[in-house]
Amino acid sequence: MLPFRKRLRSWWWRRLPREAVCRLSQRRIYLLPTRFGLLLLAVAAAVWVGALNYAVSLAYGLAFWIISLLLLAVLMAYRQLAGLQLQVEAGENTFLGQVANCRLSLINQAGVERQIHLWAEEGECAVHCQLPAGGQQSVSIPLLLNRRGPHAYPVLQIWSTAPFGLIRAFSWWRPDATVLAYPHPLPDRIRHADGLQTGKGRSRGEGEEDFSHLAEYQAGDTPRQIAWSMLARRDVLASKRFVSQPRGHAVHELAWQDYPAALDVETRLSRLCWRLLQCEKAGQRYRVRLPDTVIEPQAGQRERALAALANCSLPS
Amino acid sequence: MKHSLFRPAEMAVLLAVALVIVPLLFYLPFWLPALVELMLLLRACLLLRHSRLPGLAVLLPLLVLAAAGVWLNLNTLIGREGGAALLILLLGFKVFESRQQRDWQVVLALGFFLSAIPLLFDQSPWSALWLVISLLALTWAMLRLAGDIPSGSARTAVQALLLSLPLMLVLFVVMPRLPGPLWSMPHDSHTAQTGLSDSMEPGSISQLVQREDAAFSVVFAGQAPAVSQMYWRIMILDDFDGRRWQNVHGLQQETVQLQGGQLVRYRLTGKPVRSRLPLLEYPLQAPGGGVLEPGRLLRLASDSDDAVRIDAASLLGSHYRQSLSQSDQDFYRRLPPGNPASRQLAMQWRMQSQDDAGFVHEALLHFRLNGYRYTLTPPLLEGDNSTDAFLFSTRQGFCEHYASAFAFLARAAGIPARVVTGYQGAQYNPVGRFWQVRSSDAHAWVEVWLKESGEWLRVDPTAAVAPQRVSDGVSQSIPSLQPAVPLMGSRIPGWLLPLQQSWQAAGFAWQQWVVGYDAARQLNLYRLLGLGEAVDAAAVLRALLFGGALGLLPLLWWWRRRPAMAPLQVGRNLLVAALQCHGIAILPSDGPLDMMNKAAHLPKDVRVLLKQLLKEYAAMRYRHAELPARQVQAWLGQVRRFAQQARKQRRHS
Repeated sequence: MLPFRKRLRSWWWRRLPREAVCRLSQRRIYLLPTRFGLLLLAVAAAVWVGALNYAVSLAYGLAFWIISLLLLAVLMAYRQLAGLQLQVEAGENTFLGQVANCRLSLINQAGVERQIHLWAEEGECAVHCQLPAGGQQSVSIPLLLNRRGPHAYPVLQIWSTAPFGLIRAFSWWRPDATVLAYPHPLPDRIRHADGLQTGKGRSRGEGEEDFSHLAEYQAGDTPRQIAWSMLARRDVLASKRFVSQPRGHAVHELAWQDYPAALDVETRLSRLCWRLLQCEKAGQRYRVRLPDTVIEPQAGQRERALAALANCSLPS
Repeated sequence: MKHSLFRPAEMAVLLAVALVIVPLLFYLPFWLPALVELMLLLRACLLLRHSRLPGLAVLLPLLVLAAAGVWLNLNTLIGREGGAALLILLLGFKVFESRQQRDWQVVLALGFFLSAIPLLFDQSPWSALWLVISLLALTWAMLRLAGDIPSGSARTAVQALLLSLPLMLVLFVVMPRLPGPLWSMPHDSHTAQTGLSDSMEPGSISQLVQREDAAFSVVFAGQAPAVSQMYWRIMILDDFDGRRWQNVHGLQQETVQLQGGQLVRYRLTGKPVRSRLPLLEYPLQAPGGGVLEPGRLLRLASDSDDAVRIDAASLLGSHYRQSLSQSDQDFYRRLPPGNPASRQLAMQWRMQSQDDAGFVHEALLHFRLNGYRYTLTPPLLEGDNSTDAFLFSTRQGFCEHYASAFAFLARAAGIPARVVTGYQGAQYNPVGRFWQVRSSDAHAWVEVWLKESGEWLRVDPTAAVAPQRVSDGVSQSIPSLQPAVPLMGSRIPGWLLPLQQSWQAAGFAWQQWVVGYDAARQLNLYRLLGLGEAVDAAAVLRALLFGGALGLLPLLWWWRRRPAMAPLQVGRNLLVAALQCHGIAILPSDGPLDMMNKAAHLPKDVRVLLKQLLKEYAAMRYRHAELPARQVQAWLGQVRRFAQQARKQRRHS
């Protein structure tokens, strides 16, 4: 039974289209009674049979009132989901073996409060959120990254049994977004020193991070450089420049070819990843050479380089 | 789940089921519902103190003990009383082993079922009111238990019940009813029954007369007969043992001819007592669902004591002709020994009168002229010769005394006679346009068989003593029976009378349309509404579609209703509209800063004002703490003025 159910479900999930934004409508909201709902239906039936047998008119009224309440619960549960909008937000990429946060936002445009549960089979994760009328909420679904490379967001069940707990309204959504699993960093001390291409720059020290002046924002400036206070106060986008901006100085070469060909792909990538992180930590400039790409020093280099490592696939 | 938050929800469940079983305090042996209420209270205490629950090893023996108590008290564990007793016991013990949400849901479901039990005992409007209160409490507890709406759940419960009410009414009216029960349950023989009994002795009717409760109600088709003509016959008592008249079913069959009389058709609603309902003298044929026993008495086929409605026809004032064989005549002349003075008096009249009718005349004259008094509290008649004592010494009595004495005299004179019990008279309710007969209308009279014409003749000796008993009803002839206001002890003042009649009419309508809404009435309604000639699948489907559409209207209103927008949202919309007047399009996603940037080209004074409003908006919108309503309203007022200004400007330009 269970494997069959699982197979049915995975077949069903594969049929679902991937969507970055989804708005729940009657075409995709399903309604089923909960165990409590079924119990109450049985009670209504029992009261009805009693009313039939003893010809108790008021008991008919009670039985039908319970049934009407159940019907109303169907509508109310449906209303919990109907019109709810879900959209993906950029997920947090992280390293292999760690748990990534798949970010989503729930937007409630209706004028009523909603009680929404999210459930993903992967990781048995359940999230409950209470959306006030006209409110919006960000939710992150944890996802264990068990291999390198892109991971699709898990298929989500959005459900609610509010307000009575009699009827369960649910819907499936296959978010069109991925999180990347970077290689797991492996320490690699020796190689790290070798890769340094000595330049004629001064040795690095605390003073190098000293603030020099403000300049107009240029594409490629990192968020760290942006003068946020200026933006807030004057509404002008400006970048901070430092006394010794690491430009034209020593560049570490982190190359695929640094390792013997016998070493397997994952280990190579893991070591490269560790060295990359070391460079980032020390604020050193580096260049990543992979068989298919080269990542030059640039703004947002860390993410790009890590992504390149994550996506690296070699014709073997 | 958050356990500490969950506690009040369980309290709500306990409170709801405690409310549900309150009416059972009146219908079951008092100790049992009281015990269960106590158990619920105890469980609530355990909840509050977070104490451990007793184990199954403690609970099971206790349950068996309590069930044994029920058995000893009621002698049954099934049927109406037994089943109800067992169910509430189960409820009492179930709460002690309820820990998870699922258990409490079972308790709630049990509560819904239990709220139907009091209806088996009583279907008055009060029961209905209590049912509504129970449902409200249960729905509220259900909302609390679901846990999603901690605040405002009472409002949601009321709203849910009101929204489902029209659907319930449609189902109530439309869903087919069965004409009879699916299976019959053993009757609870110890249940006290009121009404006229199978026998009559001094005091049996006068007890009944002091009760003011309604016995049955009647609607006549066409003109109603005179009140003095309304003799409702229930029972014939044909055997006298010196003190008590009773029915020994002396005649198994009879051939009767009704001659003359005026045909009266009427519909009678009432609760049968031992399958008997009264019919107007004399019934033409047996109404549906019953047979006419010898003596033209109605016996219903079903032995249920629920209220029924019958359509009957009687020939009022007809001659009840029947030929009695010699042995039958002897049967109706049987008397026990004793009462020599009465026998002597009867023989004396026999000699004086020419025929039986003359004898009756003589006897009635005697009652009228010899200082007999009609009273509810006659002196006690003791000894073997009770008839002698009544006729010659006390001379005070109620209808049963007069009927008994008259029948004795007739039999002593050799005239076949029998006592008839039933009701006499009725009270018209102009509000509900029906006739109400009460327990206080209970009456007894005599029928004698006249050999000359071969017919039974009704003789009401009470009418000879107190004529107004028959013409105006019992309350006029016995002052202490005049309707009084409870607690005030005086007669009902005139201004209260319409109120009392309206109340009676409401009770009648309730009986007719709610309690008595059965298969027959449903069929009538279907025909009236043109839904079909029979309550079959097609007609029910039509009715459901039609009624469902009506019942869904309030739901549609609820669905379409837009909740009141938050004042901040209203203000933002106003600002957007105002900027539109200035020719600036604002997107829904634009924040206060975007709006300010887009408005950069506006004249300075407008811009400054806008900037201030937006700044306040941002401060209020993005602050998490609750805002004082006055501050928001003040801001909204400023925004309104701003928007007005913008509209004005556009009109000028």
